[in-house]
Amino acid sequence: MSFNARITLPAQAKAGEIVEIRVLTRHPMDRGGQSDGKGGTVPRKILNRLTATYAGEPIFRFDMHTGVSANPFVSFTTRAVETGDIVFEWREDGGAIYTRTARLTVT
Amino acid sequence: MSSAISPRSARTEAGIDRRSLMVGSAAGLLVAGLPLAAAADTPPDLAQLIARVTEGAIPERVRIRLEIPALAENGNSVDTRIVVDSPMTPADHVRWIHLIAEKNPFPDMARFHLGPRAGRADVATTLRIAQSQKVVALASLSDGRFVMTDADIVVTLSACIDGG
Repeated sequence: MSFNARITLPAQAKAGEIVEIRVLTRHPMDRGGQSDGKGGTVPRKILNRLTATYAGEPIFRFDMHTGVSANPFVSFTTRAVETGDIVFEWREDGGAIYTRTARLTVT
Repeated sequence: MSSAISPRSARTEAGIDRRSLMVGSAAGLLVAGLPLAAAADTPPDLAQLIARVTEGAIPERVRIRLEIPALAENGNSVDTRIVVDSPMTPADHVRWIHLIAEKNPFPDMARFHLGPRAGRADVATTLRIAQSQKVVALASLSDGRFVMTDADIVVTLSACIDGG
């Protein structure tokens, strides 16, 4: 499997504090159109969307097109409100879904 | 001209006559003049791409900052950060930030959807830049206005070269 993700966020935060979430994903992000050496072209296969929900509420969505690099990195912020899981869900061309979860403890 | 696939693809017998040339260029000037007047130093293609994203609204050049290197050795992965000066309250926040690279094969690069829960409008990612060009960051605010900024980038080794 060519997908892997590293999610970095503080283990705990004070309520109301703004935390930065950094997500580094391993994925080739094939933009498509290159020759496959057999007279055809390689189809596009990228992660086209990353959504993040925090304790069930959507907090961030990242729509990616071919302009996002291979092994995409993204960082964003959210306000810590309650202890809960931040669920990351990637959607790949072709319909595959990858999910990762990180826990944020709010003190 | 019986072999033409459609009447529109048929070539006119005597080429373009003077009258249609004059009418055409006058119309072209009119169309090109509208977005150009709005966003002074923006190339017309780019102005069109922006207008498509904003549905015709004219973005202001305030409150948004685009951090991108002026020179990139490798266009395959260019670190980019976008910060919008916004209180991010339910009444006044950034709805989304859109990135455009006019000379990429697919100019719309990415869009970040934010909301009041973000706390700050501060996002970063890694982009693929096809060649030296102007990169535009465009943000949609909750009150319906748009803000934009742009940055010139020189790319030494471009992305999107076949087999590269």
